[in-house]
Amino acid sequence: MARPRQSTGTERDRRPRGDPLRSVKEYSRPAAGKDSTNPNDLRPPAVLLKTVHYLIDDIAASPSLHPWTEVYSFVFDRLRGVKQDMIIQRVSGLDCVAILERTVRFLIYASYRLCGEPLRLYDPRINDTHLQENLSWLLDCYATGTEPHPNQEEFQALGLLYNLGSARATQHIMELPERLRSTPAIRLSLSINRAFLDRNPVRLLRLAQRLNFLQCCALHRHLVTCRRDLLLIFSHGYSSRNCRFPLDRLAQLLSLDASLTAQLCQAYGLEVNQGNQVVFSKAAFTEPEQGELHCKLYHNIVDEKQRDLTVYFRKPAGKSTVHQCSFILINAVPQKSFNKFCYLKETLWPVISLINF
Amino acid sequence: MAHITINQYLQQVYEAIDNHEGSFCAELLSFKHPHVANPRLQLASPEDKCQQVLEPPYDEMVAAHLRCTYAVANHDFVEAYKFQTLVVQSFLRAFQSHKEENWALPVMFAVTLDLRIFANNAEQQLQKKGKGQPSEMLEKAAEQLMSCFRVCASDNRAGIEDSKKWGMMFLSNQLFKIYFKINKLHLCKPLIRAIDSSNLKNDYSPAQKVTYKYYVGRKAMFDSDFKPAEEFLSYAFDHCHRSSQKNKRMILIYLLPVKMLLGHMPTHQLLRKYDLMQFADVTKAVSEGNLLLLNEALSKHETFFIRCGIFLILEKLKIITYRNLFKKVYLLLRTHQLPLDAFLVALRMMQVEDVDIDEVQCILANLIYMGHIKGYISHQHQKLVVSKQNPFPPLSSVS
Repeated sequence: MARPRQSTGTERDRRPRGDPLRSVKEYSRPAAGKDSTNPNDLRPPAVLLKTVHYLIDDIAASPSLHPWTEVYSFVFDRLRGVKQDMIIQRVSGLDCVAILERTVRFLIYASYRLCGEPLRLYDPRINDTHLQENLSWLLDCYATGTEPHPNQEEFQALGLLYNLGSARATQHIMELPERLRSTPAIRLSLSINRAFLDRNPVRLLRLAQRLNFLQCCALHRHLVTCRRDLLLIFSHGYSSRNCRFPLDRLAQLLSLDASLTAQLCQAYGLEVNQGNQVVFSKAAFTEPEQGELHCKLYHNIVDEKQRDLTVYFRKPAGKSTVHQCSFILINAVPQKSFNKFCYLKETLWPVISLINF
Repeated sequence: MAHITINQYLQQVYEAIDNHEGSFCAELLSFKHPHVANPRLQLASPEDKCQQVLEPPYDEMVAAHLRCTYAVANHDFVEAYKFQTLVVQSFLRAFQSHKEENWALPVMFAVTLDLRIFANNAEQQLQKKGKGQPSEMLEKAAEQLMSCFRVCASDNRAGIEDSKKWGMMFLSNQLFKIYFKINKLHLCKPLIRAIDSSNLKNDYSPAQKVTYKYYVGRKAMFDSDFKPAEEFLSYAFDHCHRSSQKNKRMILIYLLPVKMLLGHMPTHQLLRKYDLMQFADVTKAVSEGNLLLLNEALSKHETFFIRCGIFLILEKLKIITYRNLFKKVYLLLRTHQLPLDAFLVALRMMQVEDVDIDEVQCILANLIYMGHIKGYISHQHQKLVVSKQNPFPPLSSVS
């Protein structure tokens, strides 16, 4: 991949020249004896915001840069540098909110897009740590700032979906003013959270179909647990020697296709017989070995993932995958104008459910 | 006492320190004691006077204390907090030099308590002016308390009688108060571990133990460990002094939901006695299996429940309410093979939002999984088949 900060025309040189207009300050670890507060090296909030715009609109969302893992590692590092500059200067206010909002969107999208990539290319734990830090800073900004925050609803909902079932996140949402809590996005994410806490995966998966794309990205890491819960409680509820459960019915409940459902059942030790019926049994249910489940299915569907994503992303306007992503990263679909983007909901949902449980 | 001169006061402090009279010395440094209202002691610069009578670091400690009384008299809590921090810091220096003795523990209790209170007040003052980060003051106070805690916890040389470890539980309780207030419950864990592994844990004063169990119980509750939560909170309730009605009420606010989850419903008298009628409808709804009433009761007192942080726990009562509702269906139909439609009708009667037969099956499967119903679902026949013996085991025997 051509380094985005290289000057055009010099890529083929032995030492390509940097383009001063497009170079972005690297993140560097604070260390003893290093002066990180030198005003010449620090960027003021407005410049930081511009940088973030560049990183996300021009780099992360660029259709010509790939592989995306490399795009990710570049953007991730530079965003980290942005955050460092913000901390040193104790930035607050609207610029800070705008920067954090974009960063959170990027990290949520990455958590979905790169799910299952080898650890050396993408470490979900590190991504998660940064996402949580940015998110909680953002929520603090909302709580203390006096100016209006038009995107607050979106991010409060994303925060809850990403931290589904967490007592802390739930309590935080509950403490929001009623006016905010009753907005559609937050109401929906609260219902999903409630279904998760009640251990009602049928309701959860059904409600999840109403989420927009980025919200699905935030939720997707919980879908493994959710589907596991469903198989677990059904294994107990339908545990009888002579009883069978039709596979396609189960597939519907799980929002998966029949063959993946069968694979999933087998991963949890449940038998699927010749007649495409699941034999639930509480004695048979076993937790898969760590990593086994994910990996196995990941191998089977990785091609599908690529193909489907491209197909689905291309459909509406003939735009490429990444362009569509950029649209999402830059202006995540607001709930109100949701209908306009209905194709996202309808077409993406099956893909997401297929890929990452 | 109220109007002694500065010299008399300093003389008293000197003697209290000299004679190792911890409790008296604590009084002389505490804002609970009337001397803080004495205008003759409220001085803006008492340093010289103090140096004449007291050795370092006691002179600094007392001077900071007097300047603190001056600040409080002017209602300037940010300033008061600043000086109280100095009091604690100079106290800690003295305390560390007390090898193998712990007479100064009462002093530590007094100065750290005031530190937390002033941090609270200072924060409120700053917030009103729109200055400062939220919980910044409390976090700083927690750091100070932590350094006291470390000194106490690492006192391994002294014998039990003279150990500074006796100060650990008091400090943990103060820290719990801060951590609960600023919503950083994960910070409680190391404190709990330190107390758990200490050999003194059963010998602290009853008052300290009640507070400690109250917070540890709330923490367990927050982590969804309901059995231990019930144990800790019950201990706190049973051992709390009968005259502390307000504290007993606070314990009940958390104990009631946990007890209800484990199947013990409070009586009307109890709720009335402690002015907790907010729970009355919830209790009624759960025992009757009345989901509709439960939802109404929860939304009616939503603000109260959210403020106490128990809304989520109360929502968990829904599962027990389902169980009680479904038990009614079973009692009405008087058969062991119950059509799933019957449950759907029951849920629709309770106005559960767009519920269908798939969800009924899911709820039933969950109840079976949790042990609230003994039986199985037959998908072919669309029936719930329940055990002939004891199909709905008593709640206290489950979970």
